[in-house]
Amino acid sequence: MSALIFTIVLGIILLYLGFVKNKAILAPVAIAGLMITLFLLFKDWGLGSKYFHDMIVFDNFSIAFNISMVIITILIFFFGIDYYEALEFHVAEHYALMIFALTGAFLMTSFSNLIMLFLGIEILSIPLYVLAGGKKYSYRSNEASFKYFMLGSFATTIFLFGVALVYGASATFYLPEIKIFISQFNGHLPPMMLVGLLFILIGVAFKVAVAPFHFWSPDVYEGAPTLVTAFMSTVVKTAGFAAFFRLLNMGLLPLPVPLEKALWVMTGLTLLIGNLAALKQTNFKRLLAYSSIAHSGFIMLAMLSQHNTSASVILYYTFVYSLATVPIFIIFILMKRAADGSEELSIFRGLYKQKPWIAVFLTILLMSMAGIPPTSGFMAKYQVFVLSISQGYLGISIVAILMAVIGIYYYFFVMREVFTEREQSYPIQVSKINAALIVVCGVAVVMLGIFVWNLPI
Amino acid sequence: MILLIILLIPFLTGSFLFLFRNNSSIRFVALAASVVNLLLTLLLAFSASASNFAINWINFMGVQFALGYDGISLIMLILTNLLFPFILLAGFNRDQKNVSQLNFLILSTQSALIGVFLAQNAFLFYVFWELALIPVYFILLIWGGDGRRSITLKFFIYTLTGSLFLLFGIIYLYHLTPGNHSTDFAIFRQLHIPESNQIWLFWILFIAFAIKMPVFPFHTWQPSTYTMAPTQGVMILAGVMTKMGIYGALRFLFPIVPLGVLYWQNTIIILSLIGVVYASTIAFRQSNLKKLVAYSSMAHISLMVAAMFVQNQFALQGLLFQVISHGVTIVALFYLVLIIKEKTGTQEFQQMGGLKLKAPQMSIIFLIVVLGSIALPLTAGFVGELLMITGLFRQSAWFAFIGGTTMILGAIYMLYAYQRVMLGEEKSTHEKITDLKSLDYLILVPLIAIILVLGIYPQPIFNLVEESVRSMQNLLSPIATVVSAIVH
Repeated sequence: MSALIFTIVLGIILLYLGFVKNKAILAPVAIAGLMITLFLLFKDWGLGSKYFHDMIVFDNFSIAFNISMVIITILIFFFGIDYYEALEFHVAEHYALMIFALTGAFLMTSFSNLIMLFLGIEILSIPLYVLAGGKKYSYRSNEASFKYFMLGSFATTIFLFGVALVYGASATFYLPEIKIFISQFNGHLPPMMLVGLLFILIGVAFKVAVAPFHFWSPDVYEGAPTLVTAFMSTVVKTAGFAAFFRLLNMGLLPLPVPLEKALWVMTGLTLLIGNLAALKQTNFKRLLAYSSIAHSGFIMLAMLSQHNTSASVILYYTFVYSLATVPIFIIFILMKRAADGSEELSIFRGLYKQKPWIAVFLTILLMSMAGIPPTSGFMAKYQVFVLSISQGYLGISIVAILMAVIGIYYYFFVMREVFTEREQSYPIQVSKINAALIVVCGVAVVMLGIFVWNLPI
Repeated sequence: MILLIILLIPFLTGSFLFLFRNNSSIRFVALAASVVNLLLTLLLAFSASASNFAINWINFMGVQFALGYDGISLIMLILTNLLFPFILLAGFNRDQKNVSQLNFLILSTQSALIGVFLAQNAFLFYVFWELALIPVYFILLIWGGDGRRSITLKFFIYTLTGSLFLLFGIIYLYHLTPGNHSTDFAIFRQLHIPESNQIWLFWILFIAFAIKMPVFPFHTWQPSTYTMAPTQGVMILAGVMTKMGIYGALRFLFPIVPLGVLYWQNTIIILSLIGVVYASTIAFRQSNLKKLVAYSSMAHISLMVAAMFVQNQFALQGLLFQVISHGVTIVALFYLVLIIKEKTGTQEFQQMGGLKLKAPQMSIIFLIVVLGSIALPLTAGFVGELLMITGLFRQSAWFAFIGGTTMILGAIYMLYAYQRVMLGEEKSTHEKITDLKSLDYLILVPLIAIILVLGIYPQPIFNLVEESVRSMQNLLSPIATVVSAIVH
């Protein structure tokens, strides 16, 4: 709880630091603040404290996910030092809004009451609507912001309608009570309850961009400032899946059959659409958007293969996925700058000849995304497959494996560009801090693959 | 411990070399490392005491970092470490870009291959299996010939598709293991999987190996990849990586899904024999020397696959012998293709002929290698192929008959190729051609010596594999009797 309060204060401090003309102090303050948050989170480990009439439960699950999200945010801020230096306008809001979004994410991992989940989603989303429009004079960025806002509020409304229906049927917002309520019916739920739950799931599915509620994500990812895209595809996604898992695990297990069927269809669709659509992309940001949808499919697979290690697998998956995604976005930003704003895949061509070490680490990161051993991305996918196969879902596992092959195809498509020579490659400049962070992430991605952990959460 | 050292020497040397920019001594250091590795391997092969190494890696997934070996692993290990010094030598005195990166990648491949052959844990096996592919992908992508961008991607995706099915199979087996699950081969071997499951599991596991070897009809990646690959890459692919497939099949299929093997035995043998005839026929029609050698390799490998699935003593001994013999012969052949290309500037038969007049010694060496490839008596190829065909004969005379066509068709197309390259009228473009250099002798003479020595005295190899062949046979024979008892 102290972490949550501290983070909100940190956001407000950052907002006021905007009055100070010196941009350079923002990132260090934000990073130092988040380090303290990290410490406060560690301190709460194992306590399982409950607040506000049990509406918030800071158990190990929520703390583990919060820690993972804070680490990734710190990483993004480190990269932000270089990124925001080049920008003219006020950047204090950007830091503050990301911190506010992070507090929303904290609520999404620790709710035990549907109202808290709703608040979490809203606190997370509203800063993101603003952040997506961060490039004020860019047509695309405005489009992204508007689209995200329209569709996002629509999804939230559906979610809220679902909550109302569930309350109407069960007279409670508390997940454990909903669980007891559901268990009375032996699988034959009253229609109002069923529709309510379905609406709730749709609302959450929208947030994590699971097909068929994924249409916003490529456009928003493409239009939003790249660092914000990196934030959305890592921290926001982690928060979304943590919430999704908590919702199922705390309130809905064992899943009523119609809902289970719906979720499996969504998983299959996500795997297929994410991967197949990524094949056709020539814009790198859109490619990563679809690949992010594809990864959602694998996480869904882990989530639906209910087992006591599912939570740990999802945590591991989202963390190593984020750890690889952020530096890939950063390398992309550097390439894009050198290539005068082009976002095509071909801007990567000739990178190996020009900056061999960056190329090597980009290769490692892409290999992790593709799931090639011994990177952690492989270990993550391996654990997902172990879960789904040991729970007996052989058919969808085969589909997932075929989709993993397609994933490898498009990541290697990028990699191939990196190692193809061209006469005139774009002269990219990598600042020392960015280079160091890329190396750290690359090494971490391999090390996490060799030292795999399994948290009892 | 010695196993760990053998595993790590190439990789560590390679990583060390990677830090340097192109320096003239890089090739020597790489070669020295691989020679040390070869000596250690021979020491291991002829020492009486067994060696193994195991530490826990990922406890909650039942994964141990366990290295060990039996006769089959040893054959593969010897082959790998024997060929890599020659593969590295093939890069000497040649104009290559980024020498340090290339040597790093070659040595990493070697380490990964050693890992595949030593792994005692299916998960570890899979990790090394994939790791072996990545450096080869980059060798082909960066140093390959025309059309490499699309061909390498096809090669990579093709092989990875198979691998991921293998991964599925490993996880499925893992979840069948009792108690605290494990991916240990020893535990996998004790599983009793119902026949109906073994029948589909067989294919899940086999596809990865079938693509790697390759078995007809999973071979379509191979000709274009071999043709485009740089010489060192194709030596690795044809010499060692094809054997990964054979090794994997021996390690996974026969001990773990024996009933599946019995069910599909004839199907696979027939597919392989189709591969034999198909590859031989196409080899005969080639107008390009490198492509011809590529197809001839496929024909020989197909015969080895057929022999593997016959599962009797002759076939197995012949197979393991042929593993060494084919590896050595194909590396020598591809090296000769490289020199001929360098000397004449072409691989097309149309523009070749009469090379013997300018380079008589090369033509003699080429002839010996060709004869080794077509299994003439007193060469290593003869011992292996004769044993395999004897084994096939025990299964069915027809199998032996069709398998025997590799020898006949092989003789036709290889001698025809020899004739078109070496004999006939001298081409005017051949004015400035000189004979072999000392480096070429350094590579070719030892390889030829191995072909001849093993052809005359094959006993050491048989001694190495004797025990493994017996245990492999036992895997199927009791079940075979049980099954036939049920049928009657």
